[in-house]
Amino acid sequence: MSQAVLGAQVTPAGRRLRTSQFLLALNFAAVAIVLLLWWAATRLGWIAPIFLPSPGDVLHAGRITLEQGELLTDVLVSSRRVFLGFALAAAIAVPLGVVMGVWRPAKAIMDPFVSLLRPLPSITWIPLSILWLGIGEMQKVAIVFMGSWIYILLYTLESTRRVDPLLLRAARNLGASDVAVMREVILPGALPGIISGLKVTLAISWSCVLTAEMIAAQNGLGALIWQAKDWGNLPLVLVGMLCISLTVLVADWLALRLEWLLLPWERARRG
Amino acid sequence: MAEAGAPILSARHVTKTFGAGEAGSVVAIRDLSMDVIEGEFVCLLGASGCGKTTMLALFAGFLLPTAGQVLLRGAPITGIEPRCGMVFQSYALFPWKTVRGNVEFGLKMQGVGRAARREAGQRFIDLVKLTGFEDRYPVELSGGMQQRVTLARILAANPEVLLMDEPFAALDAMTRQVMQEEVLRIHAASRKTTVFITHSIDEALILSDRIVVMSARPGRIKAVLPNKLPTPRHVSVQLSPDYTALKAQVWRLVESELQAHDETSRAVAPKP
Repeated sequence: MSQAVLGAQVTPAGRRLRTSQFLLALNFAAVAIVLLLWWAATRLGWIAPIFLPSPGDVLHAGRITLEQGELLTDVLVSSRRVFLGFALAAAIAVPLGVVMGVWRPAKAIMDPFVSLLRPLPSITWIPLSILWLGIGEMQKVAIVFMGSWIYILLYTLESTRRVDPLLLRAARNLGASDVAVMREVILPGALPGIISGLKVTLAISWSCVLTAEMIAAQNGLGALIWQAKDWGNLPLVLVGMLCISLTVLVADWLALRLEWLLLPWERARRG
Repeated sequence: MAEAGAPILSARHVTKTFGAGEAGSVVAIRDLSMDVIEGEFVCLLGASGCGKTTMLALFAGFLLPTAGQVLLRGAPITGIEPRCGMVFQSYALFPWKTVRGNVEFGLKMQGVGRAARREAGQRFIDLVKLTGFEDRYPVELSGGMQQRVTLARILAANPEVLLMDEPFAALDAMTRQVMQEEVLRIHAASRKTTVFITHSIDEALILSDRIVVMSARPGRIKAVLPNKLPTPRHVSVQLSPDYTALKAQVWRLVESELQAHDETSRAVAPKP
């Protein structure tokens, strides 16, 4: 029995490769089956086109808006709003979270505001933000900011507080000053947690921008979907939804690459 | 403790109590006095819970005594003391730094320049036989190798006293033996004052110049035994009659301590 296995030369690496190929094939097969069912359901008239357009119609709508350049513009406009609001939130919330993590008075000052603001979904900020900022770019960026900063803050705070106190002792025992402890131990120790928080928050930022664009915007993916709905153009609604998925996937992939570059020791741990 | 040479590290009537209030407080160490002579290798030996780790934390300045004084070269220790370098049982290596980055850490904190740091760091990496592993991260190393990195890191920082908190307790028996010989070799070469905590009588006998046996709850000194076994000590020393005699003597002290501890625990235990 064992000789037969040896004779077949199935190495563990080979088996892993075969398993991963099989799983990849399953990915494609699952998508293909769902597409086929979708096509069949619309083609055979199980579902009326006003409730679900056929894959062909969606493809067609996508090609037209893409050729007109409108689709790409909407993707870029929304991405820019997300990027600005998210970057602003990170630039403020990460340092604030670190300070709150190492200095208790700062946490005591911020705690009541965090408790009050955290339960508010970003959509509740829309009336005030329109009153203060109009319906221009700043308002969209503000909505993204308001919906993102508190999550980044909480992730940063938690990661900073969870840095192993033994490592702080060890650093001090090796002669590290306060500044050196911050730079050499607390920041690198909290970094993996901060980056995870940023990755989770990025998806939240996207949902914020879409909400803001659906309520008041001339362009962007949220506006595209909302206007398409008003015109009864269901294929275009689906095109917009697909674009959001693809854009967020690309953003996630970029974040993963960044993490890979910034955390070489985590790379070693995962082998 | 009438040894020749000046004490570098002393505890004077040290008491350490944890927790406030009558009910919740635990006396970890009571009225403990001891001297560590420059250049010697002292083993603090005792069962778990005898306060030996607390004593080491007091020497490092991680904790401050509730009463009494801990002195380094006659001056009280008032905070974390880089001149007393600690080797932690659980290594405490920086996971985001390579072997080289960890070993050079103390030098970097002392403001040593990049080139000099690199050279000194390499010397200690070579000393603990980790040549070729400079760019690995701690997570990629075995337990024994990680403990070598800790050792190189503290030696490179060049503190005046080495404090070791059961550094080899988590290692397998064979690796532990290799590490013990390594520590003896390094101590013989550097004559660095070392306070080494262990609960293993054999480890204390192999490593020390002097054995301080501690009693438990509250931690006090039970006995101080000079260890005159010939140096350099090879594994074969364990076969000599002197070794056996000393081991029996230490064992009697520890055994009576364990029994006393057992009785006090029973006395305090609530009645069913």
